[in-house]
Amino acid sequence: MIINVYSLSIMFSVLFLLIVIELVRKNKLQERYSLLWILMSIILLVLSSTPVIIEAISRWLDIKNPPSLLFLFGLGYLILYNLGTTVTVSRQSERITRLTQELALLRQKITDKDS
Amino acid sequence: MRILVIIPAYNEEATIKSVIRRINLKMPQADILVVNDGSKDNTSLEARRSGAKVIDLPYNLGIGGAMQTGYIYAKENNYDIAVQVDGDGQHDPSYIKDLIKPILNDDADVVVGSRYISKSNYRSSVLRRIGMIFFSFLVSTLTNQKFKDTTSGFRAVNKDVINYFSGRYPVDYPEVDVLVRLKKRNFRITELPVEMHERQGGKSSITTLRSLYYMLKVSLALIIGTLRSSEE
Repeated sequence: MIINVYSLSIMFSVLFLLIVIELVRKNKLQERYSLLWILMSIILLVLSSTPVIIEAISRWLDIKNPPSLLFLFGLGYLILYNLGTTVTVSRQSERITRLTQELALLRQKITDKDS
Repeated sequence: MRILVIIPAYNEEATIKSVIRRINLKMPQADILVVNDGSKDNTSLEARRSGAKVIDLPYNLGIGGAMQTGYIYAKENNYDIAVQVDGDGQHDPSYIKDLIKPILNDDADVVVGSRYISKSNYRSSVLRRIGMIFFSFLVSTLTNQKFKDTTSGFRAVNKDVINYFSGRYPVDYPEVDVLVRLKKRNFRITELPVEMHERQGGKSSITTLRSLYYMLKVSLALIIGTLRSSEE
């Protein structure tokens, strides 16, 4: 097997896919959050195992070095995924705030009744 | 008319007692609620001893989350007017009567006690003053209403606003942001001159280093806020 950017990328995607599946299997990652990671590794796997695709796209986009398309794809995907994560974090922090408020209000009600 | 005075408090054990005592003296008909925002000192105990109702938040939510807790309480317990007063003694409770008057007369939905109109002898740091002028310019431009003191946390609101706040209230540095949100929903806001004292204990939540970040964040929130639909 030749070691180049494609073979490395194939190994990486396969390994990554296995890690994601293992995390889901062990309930350390919820299915809904794993879907996009699985999708990413499959796309990466397809792109790196069939160089014709990225070579064609590279010609079309005038990219001199086709493998850099792999990086572009990885980078773009990560940026978008990260944005999605911060949206999730925002929603969760709003919910946690609400829960905290409800909890404090309930506790006040209970102590009010006791006294 | 049921009136609730909400005091958000974070580590205010030195002043909370006298604040509560003075409110009781000036506004005996009002109930007092202290929202203890995860204080590490005896704020909660001191407030309870002074006869106020106390809600203890299990950790520090920040002023926005703490104030909203008070508004949810006001809504659930069917209050007609809510007045927010700082726990550090800056706000003089003798002005509460003036603040709620326009609400009782149904001339306003929100009344802001402003330290910038005429008779105030309040002095503040240069940096703080620059920030205040900047925000008053920004808010006045965005809302088409002249505001002198947008950062004042000395306010009275009526029932409609209590309902609105208990559903949605900005998280960080809410005083400025909220004015724009309220105007957008066509609530009537009035500013009244009040005297403010130097804080009598504790530390301001706004430090010099954080001021710039604060201004940036609030400005961003205001500008993006104007793009938000008013139904939300």
